[in-house]
Amino acid sequence: MIKAMRETTLETIGLGKVIDIFRDGRLPVGPGQAVDRVFGDASERGSMVISGASGIVGAGKTMQLGSRLAPYDIKVVALDFPGAPDGIGQQYQGLARAFGREGADAIMRNIIRLSYDGRRLPDELTGFRPRFLLEAIPEILELKRAHYKLFRDTFPEIEIRSVTSGFPSSELGVGVAHPAFPHEINKIWEVVEDEPSAITQLLWALGMIPVAVADNWSFVLDVLFCGVTLAASRYGTATNMPAWKIDKFTRKLVGPNPLRAHDAIGTKGATFLTWSCLHHLAEMYGPLFEPTAEIAERKETGRSWYPPNHFRPLVDWSMDAEQSEEFEHWILGPLFQMTSLMLHEQRGHLTHINAIGELCAQFRRGILAVIREAGTQRVVDTVEAYHRLHPAAREAAWHPEAFEAIGGADWQQLYVNAEHDGSIGVVTISRESMNDDVDRELNRAFDWLRAEGIENLILTGDFHLSTQMVGADTSAIYPSLEDVDEGVRLTKTWSSTARRLDSDFATTVGFIGGKRCLGGMLELIVHCDHLVAVDDARFGFPEVTLPIVPGVEGCHWTIRKSPPAGRAKVLRMLLTGQEVKARDAVGWLIDHAGPIDEALRTAWDLANGRGDGIATRELERGAFDLAIEVGELPEAGSPATETARAAIAACARDACGTDLGEALDVQCRHAAEFIASKSCRKGVIGTDYTKTMKI
Amino acid sequence: MADALRMFPRARIPYGTWGSSYFPAWQTSALAEVNIGQFAGEAMNRILGLRKVPRTELGSLVIGSTIPWHWKFWNAPLVASCLGHRVPGYHVEQACATGLQATLLAGAEIETQAHDVVGVLTFDRTSDSPVGVFPERRAHVRTQAISDVWDNFGFDPATGNAMMAAAGLTARKYGVERSEVDDVAFLRYQQYFEAKESGFLDRVLVPLDVLNVAGRPLGRIDDDFGVRKMSLGAMRAMNELDTCVTGGTQTHASDGMACLMVTTKERVADLSPRPEIDIEFVAKAESRTDPSLMPEAPAFAVRELLERTGLTMDDMAVVKNHNPFAVNDVVFRKVLDYDWAKMNRTGCPLVWGHPQGPTLTRVVIEALEEAVDLGGGYVLVFGCAAGDVGIAAVLRVS
Repeated sequence: MIKAMRETTLETIGLGKVIDIFRDGRLPVGPGQAVDRVFGDASERGSMVISGASGIVGAGKTMQLGSRLAPYDIKVVALDFPGAPDGIGQQYQGLARAFGREGADAIMRNIIRLSYDGRRLPDELTGFRPRFLLEAIPEILELKRAHYKLFRDTFPEIEIRSVTSGFPSSELGVGVAHPAFPHEINKIWEVVEDEPSAITQLLWALGMIPVAVADNWSFVLDVLFCGVTLAASRYGTATNMPAWKIDKFTRKLVGPNPLRAHDAIGTKGATFLTWSCLHHLAEMYGPLFEPTAEIAERKETGRSWYPPNHFRPLVDWSMDAEQSEEFEHWILGPLFQMTSLMLHEQRGHLTHINAIGELCAQFRRGILAVIREAGTQRVVDTVEAYHRLHPAAREAAWHPEAFEAIGGADWQQLYVNAEHDGSIGVVTISRESMNDDVDRELNRAFDWLRAEGIENLILTGDFHLSTQMVGADTSAIYPSLEDVDEGVRLTKTWSSTARRLDSDFATTVGFIGGKRCLGGMLELIVHCDHLVAVDDARFGFPEVTLPIVPGVEGCHWTIRKSPPAGRAKVLRMLLTGQEVKARDAVGWLIDHAGPIDEALRTAWDLANGRGDGIATRELERGAFDLAIEVGELPEAGSPATETARAAIAACARDACGTDLGEALDVQCRHAAEFIASKSCRKGVIGTDYTKTMKI
Repeated sequence: MADALRMFPRARIPYGTWGSSYFPAWQTSALAEVNIGQFAGEAMNRILGLRKVPRTELGSLVIGSTIPWHWKFWNAPLVASCLGHRVPGYHVEQACATGLQATLLAGAEIETQAHDVVGVLTFDRTSDSPVGVFPERRAHVRTQAISDVWDNFGFDPATGNAMMAAAGLTARKYGVERSEVDDVAFLRYQQYFEAKESGFLDRVLVPLDVLNVAGRPLGRIDDDFGVRKMSLGAMRAMNELDTCVTGGTQTHASDGMACLMVTTKERVADLSPRPEIDIEFVAKAESRTDPSLMPEAPAFAVRELLERTGLTMDDMAVVKNHNPFAVNDVVFRKVLDYDWAKMNRTGCPLVWGHPQGPTLTRVVIEALEEAVDLGGGYVLVFGCAAGDVGIAAVLRVS
């Protein structure tokens, strides 16, 4: 009997629970298996067709899927009108950067470009046995329907998915796989289908992130992104504030630069899509979504939101406290109201609704995390304040009752879940970077497992949203740049959470199944008794390059956990920021590296106390003298990096020079003081902070 | 008021929808670094935002400036683009009369029903004025280069005299005493600083933060930089540059912008925070006097205006003028028999400078604010302009 704090996101695409992946010692579906299910086995391989392949979406997805399907000998047929501008050729340089020229050439060779006139499919298409059509043609419903009929008449068995950004599946008559910008690299796909399909599982098996959403107009991403764009435009209409400055304040408040994003994508096309999305939403849900006259005008004229370069803004805009509060109402009010609608309609798993904004629309924190922290009353007050500013929005699509469940596990565990089978607990992290939300949710997960009597656990990514672990969310560090005490609080809080992996459970196993585990996330996970990774995973402490002193005990716990012979390697990693592959880190940073299935089994065995043959690294709990030689270091490259190296070395020396109990304070003080130093404030995080928050 | 005393019966200036930048003296502020047309457009947008007037209310824009600026060819439509609202419009220019002429022309636009809401946006940058190169085949110097501000100040091609010479000639014509000119100038400084300290100017002038190309602060325009308190003794001690003209009794070049709106009576309620205040156009007059006697021209324009309307100086609640020389005000007393102490109670261009295009716009705005403080009445605004021209207009606040 498996119990979970809340539904596992993998279950929404038919792939079960995470604990089953460890119990079974394999992934629920492998890429080869998924490819066979969609395209047939090697003897009768079919092909993929992308129509509208020269457009922004089509070209991006041709590259993304083409590069992933090429190893399986799946041809990608890129279909478009003969006169369509070449969007595919433009992708070549990006491919070459990612895969090298030879790799890029191989991928391009696998892409078959065919032209058609919109009425009759090219004869040679039959020879490629199309099995899966990804439709990326213009957002005109009748055009799309005719397109599907054309394909179905010719290839009755073909699976069709539309990349539409707005039309529901019920209107289209086909499933939806709506990808997020930038299309060549963003892995998120909002999928709409009655049951989890082989197509969706193929996307997952190829390393992408399909997210199941309900069949509504404009799904989740476009409601959020178009919604924040609309809110920004409405604020500009009400106050005259120019787009560039609204963007700055919006970025400070929630994260995105929605108006700049439209210019970056292409003002006319992007604004048309936003208008189209809002227009249909307004028809369905009323004035909350009514596009502004400015949006309507720009989708026609293509006039950019930002001024041209030779008219870079001259007159700055500022806001006093009252104006700032009103700005919050203008921006957050509609976003909260739109979110209430999506919750009311149960548009998706709460973790997904929350994550989509972060992963696809630059939200610094997911919209549900923001709502959760604000609390129901403040959220309702904000929406009502917005209604006073824009009374028409009050008319419909406001569901304050949707926030009543805010205390439940679905709301409280947006980023971290826990499952157990009565013996082993699996804690999954669905966010690639660490912040206070993740920290609090980790604690609740640990508390829940303890309350359930679980003594052994595996800490891992969620095999879904977090395909890697990149470290601390640097925005979480912003307040510490100007306040040493806040830095001490932050580092001590996160470190104390990490220490629970050492103190609260009999056995803990950290599992790294993604591409990399860096910085704060690595510091967290090294607190586990054992570390297991897939053998091409990479580890590193990039803090020195930012620069910052690792704050979650990276400067001593990793060293204490390493046998004396490996300590110099750990210290060298800390001082240089250089990464190491899992297979090269066995014995001094991790305990086992291997292919995915083997790594899964090993983690499960270790959690069950069956780690025979795997040497355990003991944690040095006492004080010791860190007098080790790391060898010659590469050039620091900047005085700030040089300063950070000295600070990290001092932190490591001092923290190791005390016992484990005192080391926490020593490490936190070193880290906090460096964060508040000029070196950090002038570095990457400080610059980003100034750019984002000091406007 | 009888229609005979309504110049544009349809047109109104909506109270409180106006604003001006401070006028920093030339080369003393970030305004010396900017494209003033772009700055003016963005600044008007900011001012309208602060006044809670959506820029989209504008149907047209009358811009006024006198010194060429980069991309001037593109005129009001370009400035409107910088403002963020693509409306049509045109440019008007009459040296220091520009601000008043632009306001009156906006009234005419309303009166002719061409538009419902017209913006008036005037601006100039005297700092680093452009140098024009003019091929002149009939001149013995085949090509002439003219620094737009200073070379024009120094030479009226119609008379061959400088502006300052006109002030001296007029002072001599009227037998103006230096001591009275110093007294006028000293009072004008006192009036300005009293208005400033009372907070009156805060209702007119808007601090503006100017950015450089990297988006970082270039400077804050929050004062009429270069204006400092003057003692009467210091005023009297100054060297005379021409008859009755000293550094203290003449204005100085400055940079800035000022804007207001003109609309129909019906639309005032949509735009003004105090729609109960009614501001009407009453009458206008212009005159051109004899060569190099520019300081007397405004007095003649006012005299003509009074004769035409039947109004007297005693009817005026507020009297305010553009006075590049204190001589102007003394001559005005002599021609109209009007006590100069009753004029310019909140300051004037003699003190806060002379950016040309927006000068009389700021005078109009300050005059209207003063009239509102006084409970309404006739507002007389007048001034001189290059070419020995005087302009005068009466507005009525009720």
